[in-house]
Amino acid sequence: MSYTGVLELSAIRRQSKSIVSSCYYEGALKLTRPVYLEEHVPTVYLIHVGGGYVDGDTYLTDLSVEAGAELAVTTQSATKVYKTPKNPVVQQTNLKVGKGSVLEYFPDSLIAYEGARFIQETNVRMEEEAVFFYSDIITPGWAEDGSLFRYDWIRSKLKVYKNDKLVLFDHLLLKPDDQLNGIMQMEGYTHVGTLLIFHNQADKVFLDGLYEVMEDIQEDVCFGLSTLPKGGVILRLLARSTGMIEKMITLAHGWARHQMLAKDVVRWRKY
Amino acid sequence: MDTAMINELFPLLQLCDSNFPSGAFSHSFGLETYIQEQVITDTKSFSEAIIVYIEKQLVFVEGLACRLAFEGVGQNRMADLFELDQLLFAASLAEETRIGNRRIGERMAKLCAGLYPSPILDDYLDKIKEKQAYGHSALVFSIVACHLQVGKETAIGAYLYGAVSSLIQNAVRSIPLGQTDGQKLLVNIQPLLKKAVRKILLLSKDDLGAVSPGLEIAQMRHERLHVRLFMS
Repeated sequence: MSYTGVLELSAIRRQSKSIVSSCYYEGALKLTRPVYLEEHVPTVYLIHVGGGYVDGDTYLTDLSVEAGAELAVTTQSATKVYKTPKNPVVQQTNLKVGKGSVLEYFPDSLIAYEGARFIQETNVRMEEEAVFFYSDIITPGWAEDGSLFRYDWIRSKLKVYKNDKLVLFDHLLLKPDDQLNGIMQMEGYTHVGTLLIFHNQADKVFLDGLYEVMEDIQEDVCFGLSTLPKGGVILRLLARSTGMIEKMITLAHGWARHQMLAKDVVRWRKY
Repeated sequence: MDTAMINELFPLLQLCDSNFPSGAFSHSFGLETYIQEQVITDTKSFSEAIIVYIEKQLVFVEGLACRLAFEGVGQNRMADLFELDQLLFAASLAEETRIGNRRIGERMAKLCAGLYPSPILDDYLDKIKEKQAYGHSALVFSIVACHLQVGKETAIGAYLYGAVSSLIQNAVRSIPLGQTDGQKLLVNIQPLLKKAVRKILLLSKDDLGAVSPGLEIAQMRHERLHVRLFMS
């Protein structure tokens, strides 16, 4: 199958430092050279060279962080999905988090515009002692008349395996209908965010601590936190703006970094 | 109705009775959060919620799993059954719901292995005991229904009815609603259950677990409620 864009990258550990050991891209995907925001950890910025995803586009991203290595990944800007009259856009992402390695994967938000159909399939394979932090933000693009939720549908499937055992299957389907705004669906909100924290210390004690940090925030958001099997915590939230979701995710991510990695909040230095 | 049909009816009545001791009566699956947060306060708001619960949660998760399990068991594809077991477990993002489903599934498997034994159910129960499988009521129900040669659509419809009637009973106790209102609701939702079965038959395996985020968040928030009647 020929893709609209392909991107492959591996990070390895060399002495005390992690480096990008191999990198390949073609079509509409590319990335920046690694930047060392932290002394020993490369950060890469994924780039879409067109203005956004259009009808029938297919993307494949394969990232692999080998044993003991650390890597931080984000995007240069939001992922925009435009009208897909014939075929939905499909984005396939495979992430491998090797033994004792750390992957922080924090793309910008997804914006789905009027008439967009988008399938996102992400498979994550974690090995022993691996650390995986991940966020995902889905936002409704504005239509010309100013209304929200004009996309056709967004389907996001995320599977996380730990030592080949499925520990998370998160399947979101956002399909605007007369119920989507209401109870058990979007609850009157417009934006959805998710933060995953997989770490051997991501247990009930960590969850209680994180909850205390989060519950002090008096904002117009609706969020839930829970533990996942085998060392994991999920934060899922609903809000009315990308900025609010980012604020909440940054807070929780920063706290996890502080507690688990003895590091500060990430400053992605994009703007 | 001939005698054969009556015979297949009895086990379904038994399994779908809200008094069937599967433990489902201890779980609200997130509804209690809406009750405490005053979103669900009366028959009207509860019936609106239960409609969404049927059309979204039950159709795409438990109901579709029930159908896929029924088809897999009918064709002796045990691997399908165990894959569904893993997917259903991992698809519950809220811990209480995940543990609740697992407990109910295991208890139902044990009960049904005594009541309506079959080699497939024994196999599933063994896998649960060996911690190779988690257990889920939709899968146990399908195994039993398939073994008793209940029709597929009847089986799915009966499972949905059982799930909804148990939630309605819980709502009657906790909101609270009048007993008569609860029974009226059980009548009103019957056409919806029929529609849900038809929808489930049109879905594919790829649709399994496709939900929108609100209910999951409510299920997570349930962990933090101060006073709780239910375990989820």
